[in-house]
Amino acid sequence: MTAMTETVLVGQGALIEALLRGEFICKTTNEDGWRALKSASTREHIEQYLNQINRTLAQAGEGEVFFCGYLQLGERERKVISQQFRDICNALTPLVEWLVLVQEANGQDAPLSEGAAIRLTELQSRIEDTPAFKEQLAKISHYRLFGSTSSQVDAQIKLVFKRLVELGYLLRPNQEKQIYIATGKLDYLYEVIRFIDETEGLSLELQAETATQRELM
Amino acid sequence: MGNNLHQAGVKLLKQLGRHAELVMDVYLAGSIAENNDNAAIVDKLRKADILYRPEAEQELRLKRSVRALLEEALKDERNRQIDANVGSSMATIKTLADHYKEARHAVDYAASEAYLADLSEHVYAFAEGLRYSIRVLWSRINNEFGYVGTINAKIRENELAQSQVTELLNGLEMVQFDELANIAGDIRELRKLLVTRLQETLSDCTQELSVVQGRLLELLGRFRQIQGRTRLLKGWLLYTDQHPDYNPDNHVGHKQVPNLFNQADALIAPASVDVFNTGHENELLQLVTQIKSIARHQVATPTREHDVSMSLAAAEDFDIPDNPLKLAVDEYFCAVIDSGMRQSALQYHQQQGLEWDTESWLYQVICGFEGLPEEHRQYFELEPIGEPHPRFNGNFIIKDVELWLA
Repeated sequence: MTAMTETVLVGQGALIEALLRGEFICKTTNEDGWRALKSASTREHIEQYLNQINRTLAQAGEGEVFFCGYLQLGERERKVISQQFRDICNALTPLVEWLVLVQEANGQDAPLSEGAAIRLTELQSRIEDTPAFKEQLAKISHYRLFGSTSSQVDAQIKLVFKRLVELGYLLRPNQEKQIYIATGKLDYLYEVIRFIDETEGLSLELQAETATQRELM
Repeated sequence: MGNNLHQAGVKLLKQLGRHAELVMDVYLAGSIAENNDNAAIVDKLRKADILYRPEAEQELRLKRSVRALLEEALKDERNRQIDANVGSSMATIKTLADHYKEARHAVDYAASEAYLADLSEHVYAFAEGLRYSIRVLWSRINNEFGYVGTINAKIRENELAQSQVTELLNGLEMVQFDELANIAGDIRELRKLLVTRLQETLSDCTQELSVVQGRLLELLGRFRQIQGRTRLLKGWLLYTDQHPDYNPDNHVGHKQVPNLFNQADALIAPASVDVFNTGHENELLQLVTQIKSIARHQVATPTREHDVSMSLAAAEDFDIPDNPLKLAVDEYFCAVIDSGMRQSALQYHQQQGLEWDTESWLYQVICGFEGLPEEHRQYFELEPIGEPHPRFNGNFIIKDVELWLA
């Protein structure tokens, strides 16, 4: 009995730690934690704990991604949030361009979403074979978000992927293999774009659709 | 009449069998052009109503009924045909039931038997047709419309399937059981067929169809989400292209910050053990006793991107430095080569006055023989000398071994 409560406590402790480290918890990054957070009683426990230090449990992506937010916003908290918002806005265009590049280079119908795997070597050879993709990669890798100064495809793409792992958008389960898995933070990104689209009334989807139809004509 | 039909059917099936290759070619390719090689066969198949020409100057195609037979038997997923025409099936069934009742009333047993058989056939076929339609729908759902490539095509396929489900459900709604019960009256056979049997089938199928409908909607939702995301990304790129100095509004500047952007910064203080807490003393001591000093060289293990293949080709490359016992065994082998005679290992051991225990010596000789590279071993023969264990079957005790040149 004691052993069981201990493991539960340790499990929740680890989960709270992960949240306080600013991690996004999804099925891909932390399946046990994600499963635990899916249960209302665990969520309540964690919420109680987090509330004591002015934190709260936040969700995105239809409840598939969890992260830690502030319970009440003071001057300092607002500053942090503003900084983070600026960061994510600056990252949007490079990330979107990268997502489109991966989708087009792999010839896929669907853009990358949580749980999808990318084989870097395959992607790299496809990019190397197509000048347009090469150009696009060079442009993406030179954004400040990635900050590459190299002119080699190999160095550019490796740096981009390394940065994406650091930023939490990708996961590299095996250090010896060049296989990356998209995390739930990407789904968060889609939600951010959709939020901006809806609140500012950009009607991005409509524009994309009319553009495709014009191409078809 | 019956005999004639039987013969004609057998003839038709035989024809299909005889020209199976060509029929399958047409099935897969969709149509076939007449040429000198196949003119005779094509002509025969046309006469048998297996192939037909939809329009003048068009290539020949397989008759719909033959196609349907193949699609169903092969579970071909390209088949999207669903017969949603419940109304006409029901009309046929009602008509046949009336025929049967009339014949029964006129006490014409032969005719009534025939009508009943016909009626059963139609009812069963109707049920089977419904079940088949549902199977087709499921197979399309299960591979997520994998037979078409793009998301847009998948969405269209999904919409087609949904309209088929709706049509099927509408058709099933038209079946009036009180009307069927009236027709059946108190005739047992008719009640069994028209009321019990049909009702079971219909309630099963309606239930399953509503599950199918739910799954189709779910899939459509997923397809739409994927499509929406693609468009969102493309739209973003288009928009930022057209408005190079665009910057999102400051959505976090408002009084009410959207939950999406309320993300706390990393806050984690390093934890350490409280050595002054006497309550923890026991656990801490236990932990300390378990600590082992492990000295590892701080050398990062090199990681290889690719497997480097290596083979152990030449035996000399990976020979381990020999110990004296092994060297002595080698000398024993050389002695055998020199003398060219059969030589007992134990005798050699005594002659040379070797210091090793006889058992280890024998082991090493056997090992030495087994350990020789294949091409060297072929030159020797080794025979163990010994006896079976008196008590335990199958155990052979080696007392000595003899070695000679093969």
